[in-house]
Amino acid sequence: MGSTTANIPSWFGVAASASLVLIAVAISWRERLGLGREVAIAAGRAFVQLAAVGALLLIVFERGGLPAAFGWLGLMVVTAGFVAGGRASGIPQARTHAWWGIGVAVAATMGLLLVLGVIDATPRVVIPVGGMVVSTAMVTSGLALQRTADVVRDQRASIEARLALGLSSRDAFLQPYRTAVRTALVPSVDTTKVVGLISLPGAMTGLILAGVDPWDAIRYQIVVMYMLLGAAFMSAVLSARLAQRSLFDDAERLVRW
Amino acid sequence: MPHTVGPAPELFTLDAVSFVVHDRVVLDDVSDHIHEGHATAIVGASGSGKTTLLRMLNRLEEPTSGVILFRGVPLPELDVRELRRRVGMVSQRSTMLTGRVDDEVRVGREELTDGDVDGLLEQVALGHIERERAPADLSGGEQQRLALARALAVGPEVLLLDEPTSALDQTAAASVDAVVGRLVDAGLSVVLVSHDLRRAAALTDDALVLDHGRLVDRGDPSDVTYLGGG
Repeated sequence: MGSTTANIPSWFGVAASASLVLIAVAISWRERLGLGREVAIAAGRAFVQLAAVGALLLIVFERGGLPAAFGWLGLMVVTAGFVAGGRASGIPQARTHAWWGIGVAVAATMGLLLVLGVIDATPRVVIPVGGMVVSTAMVTSGLALQRTADVVRDQRASIEARLALGLSSRDAFLQPYRTAVRTALVPSVDTTKVVGLISLPGAMTGLILAGVDPWDAIRYQIVVMYMLLGAAFMSAVLSARLAQRSLFDDAERLVRW
Repeated sequence: MPHTVGPAPELFTLDAVSFVVHDRVVLDDVSDHIHEGHATAIVGASGSGKTTLLRMLNRLEEPTSGVILFRGVPLPELDVRELRRRVGMVSQRSTMLTGRVDDEVRVGREELTDGDVDGLLEQVALGHIERERAPADLSGGEQQRLALARALAVGPEVLLLDEPTSALDQTAAASVDAVVGRLVDAGLSVVLVSHDLRRAAALTDDALVLDHGRLVDRGDPSDVTYLGGG
């Protein structure tokens, strides 16, 4: 896929670009922003993290094959679940809901793309494409759980008023659930609407830099946008539904936090 | 099974009911009865456990120990949604759940006809209100009466009222009390939670007095001893 003769910066080029970090540090020092040390550490961290990921990817691409690629995806899902579940203070077992939401969204999205032959079943494709799906699913799952916690806090009285009228917990929670899921999904829908108008998205940028024709690059980007939409909806709805189930006990009572 | 009528004429039987939350004893070994066809007051100062006790009667709360029976059947043995349809509730500040007066009446029972809705609104002295008005725009007293209509729509055998007038001014409170008084006169069983014994006495003929979670007196509202607030 694409040519490997693209104009990639050499290690000398990388060292030269560090001059821009020096400029940032100098600005911080001159303006007394107190960020110099932090900028230097951040730049150093970025170098070490990316070098480590690059080396690992190299090993996976050359030796690990598909099993290693899916293992890598699995690790990303676990990490993403920790992050997304941590956002929802008050919801019981929030991390489990996030893991399921993200895991199912990633499995379904990647599974569909692979089965339909839309993307190649090689580590070189599965890892970066899967990474985009995981990060989108993480954001929407986290938002859905966080908004669910918010609506329970804000609307406890109206949820209980519905329960007291004999409604099931599912019916009593329908409006708060919809509010939570909709607000969680608005950023994904908006991003899809303005794609290409405000910024050139990552996949397309990468392909163009790698020397692929823009007309070919957009095909990849369209697939990416569609798959991210699907993943966002799956992870938000599943996480919020699981959260709802953990918020009510056997006697259709909203749990106490 | 839901319609089992026990040998006792009691609507609710409280048997050694206690409630502890975060190591705080909210209700301490309360045992008594609430009778069918009566208006019963549960009075006590704030923090006496009266609202918790009321919320246990439709299982919005569960006793830590002890058991509550409805018509002789332990509450956990009844289907909880069926129980909540038979035991209606109106809280201190009713939250309006919909955008229209008639939708509000139908929340618990969608299939009501327009005629049913009219009848219920008449019953709570809201016959004059336009059906398409937003419940949130009504006055506090009108909202409480609409909440009563919403609860009555489901066809409850008993109505639980949690200080339904404490957030209202005198005139609005009187309008709600008048509606409740008519329901009681018509034979509906009512359990009214209040911190104000005198106000409760005007509407009820039986009273349980709670103090720091303990049942300290029981009897005619004009005879019981209540030293609490309000």
